Amino acid sequence: MDNRPVMIDLQNVKKKYVIRHNFEKPESFSGKLKLVAKRILHPTKKYNTEDFYALNGVSFQVRQGEKVGIIGKNGAGKSTLLKILSRITEPSDGRIEMLGKLSAMLEVGTGFNGELTGRENVYLNGAILGMTKEEVDSKMDSIIEFSEVGRFIDTPVKRYSSGMFVRLAFAVAANLEPDILIVDEVLAVGDTKFQRKCIEKMMNIADSGKTILYVSHQMQTIQQLCDRVIVLKEGKVIYDGDVARGIEIYTETVDVDKTKFDLTGHKPRGSQMAVIENIEITDRDNCAWFYNEPIKFRVRIKANETCKKMRMYFIVRDLNVNNVFGKSETAILPAIEKGTTYELECSVGNADILAPGKYIAGVELFEKENGIISMQDIVPEAFPFEILGEDEKNQSVEPIFWEPHYHGRMMLPETKTELI
Amino acid sequence: MMQKTIIEPNGHNMQYWKDLWRYRELALNFAKRDVTVRYKQTVIGFGWAVISPIINMLLMTFIFGGVAGLSSEGDTPYYILVYTGLIPWALLSKSLQSGAGTFINNAGIMNKVYFPRILSPLGSMLAFLVDTAISFGVLFIMMIIFFFLEGFVPSIRILLCPLVLVWVAVLGLFAGLFLSAFNVKWRDLNQLLPFLISIGQYASPVAYSVSENFGDKWWLPIYCINPAVGILETFKWCIIDSMEFNSFAFFMSLGWTAILIPLGIKFFRKTERTFVDIV
Repeated sequence: MDNRPVMIDLQNVKKKYVIRHNFEKPESFSGKLKLVAKRILHPTKKYNTEDFYALNGVSFQVRQGEKVGIIGKNGAGKSTLLKILSRITEPSDGRIEMLGKLSAMLEVGTGFNGELTGRENVYLNGAILGMTKEEVDSKMDSIIEFSEVGRFIDTPVKRYSSGMFVRLAFAVAANLEPDILIVDEVLAVGDTKFQRKCIEKMMNIADSGKTILYVSHQMQTIQQLCDRVIVLKEGKVIYDGDVARGIEIYTETVDVDKTKFDLTGHKPRGSQMAVIENIEITDRDNCAWFYNEPIKFRVRIKANETCKKMRMYFIVRDLNVNNVFGKSETAILPAIEKGTTYELECSVGNADILAPGKYIAGVELFEKENGIISMQDIVPEAFPFEILGEDEKNQSVEPIFWEPHYHGRMMLPETKTELI
Repeated sequence: MMQKTIIEPNGHNMQYWKDLWRYRELALNFAKRDVTVRYKQTVIGFGWAVISPIINMLLMTFIFGGVAGLSSEGDTPYYILVYTGLIPWALLSKSLQSGAGTFINNAGIMNKVYFPRILSPLGSMLAFLVDTAISFGVLFIMMIIFFFLEGFVPSIRILLCPLVLVWVAVLGLFAGLFLSAFNVKWRDLNQLLPFLISIGQYASPVAYSVSENFGDKWWLPIYCINPAVGILETFKWCIIDSMEFNSFAFFMSLGWTAILIPLGIKFFRKTERTFVDIV
């Protein structure tokens, strides 16, 4: 039985945002009449609104001394959770109890002013983060030492290099002595040497028995720093526990063993005149391609209206949902009659420079008329796939082990070095 | 024993006031920042706090005393009359504007870190009080000059001035906080406010005497509804010995203050809870 005190206790926390849509333009006469009536009855209402839950019932407890990593794709609710915990905004529902002093580092150098000197900024930033003047005074030497700005401490920070700026800003935050520390990827700043120093500092804070909540896309630092992982998906906790398993679950929300992707019932975006119903990979039994191999897949499209000038757009994102590249079909797809479906065989050429790793493909349908683009359907996460680090003869294509966050998402087919 | 924080929709006010006390130094830090930044980069530094009201005074003396030919308060030099009006007016309008613009102008910080939001406009207000103190020093020098030129002697009530100035800043601030809530939703207010303030400069007794010019007008009570009237008249009364105390206008301003403080706090609190979701 764990008898350490509970530092953070979230009970069914929800955060609702209201999204506004413009009124749809009705086609029929009666529809138009209805719209006019609506406008008269609600003169100030210009939009249809839809509720969106960025957090939808999140509950967990964090005990003293725990180092919890929070991971999830973009839009999973991580930032919203941090904003609520750090009291920047309030939840719409639920309750949170916290014990002790909390400091949130959602950004380094909040409130830094270029005109002020390093020292003046340390006092200001310290006060913003909740330190008293005495606390800052007693920490000043270690802040200056840690930041390595030395004699520039009395120079206006607008004359600092960006590295100096970041180091000083982090130094202030790192010298806070909170009971709970919330960190949002701020470690991804500065040069490698300073990053390492920051991680060491975080480890020290962690070892001193503080409670830490750390949000990051960098699985490596999560592994180094955390002893527990919470995976968020669509505003809900889908996993809470062991770090290695959590990271696995995060990357394996990406499952490349499937070849059939039923997309009926995906979240409607665009006009929905035509919708993507499913996608199938037919030339293999998983979604893994060798490096240098063109990606082929079949798309089934259903037309709700007759579409004559439709095109397709294909986009590749990495697991952190950063866009890698996109390409739209140059040719217009064959016309499709209202109510019918057809299947297309797609082949993405020039995608063969994608570096080994896992990706997510998105497919979109659009129509372009007189220079105006209207979206018909958007499936941002149509199917995941993997590019293998070997070619068809099972030969490794690179002598080094490819780490995308370090080596990049593209691998050029060839480079030449010659003796001259 | 560690403090306990409870986060709930429409969270507790008690906790807010406790936090306000805990973070109290922050207001001073904000004020210090504002003052330092305002004067650091300019060539003559604090000189600007002196020059701009003097130029304003010369201009308004020319317009109201010269062109419009309005009469001063008794035999008070017109320059003194105008400058005495400008000091509280500048403080009032600046506090109002910074209060109203709190959320918009500080969205960057407020989006990233928690502190009781009210400390930010409070800090700005303190910085404006520093500006005002400098302007007051200039008034003092002017009074010495006019003592030798025209034998002008200020009233002993001048000792009440700091008190009145704090009142001015507070009224401006809370009126601003009241408006800040609307400013988040309707940005038009941001455009409208400077315009309203420049109208207010004419609709309030900044550069003319009320009793000498409109003392017998039937619309005087309506004119006095403007919350700035009583407060400006009171400030002038503190300095000009021959002036009569305008008690109707005074109580009008006092009433406005009594209404705007709770209203300002209420609207500001309501907005600060979730404004980051809108801005």
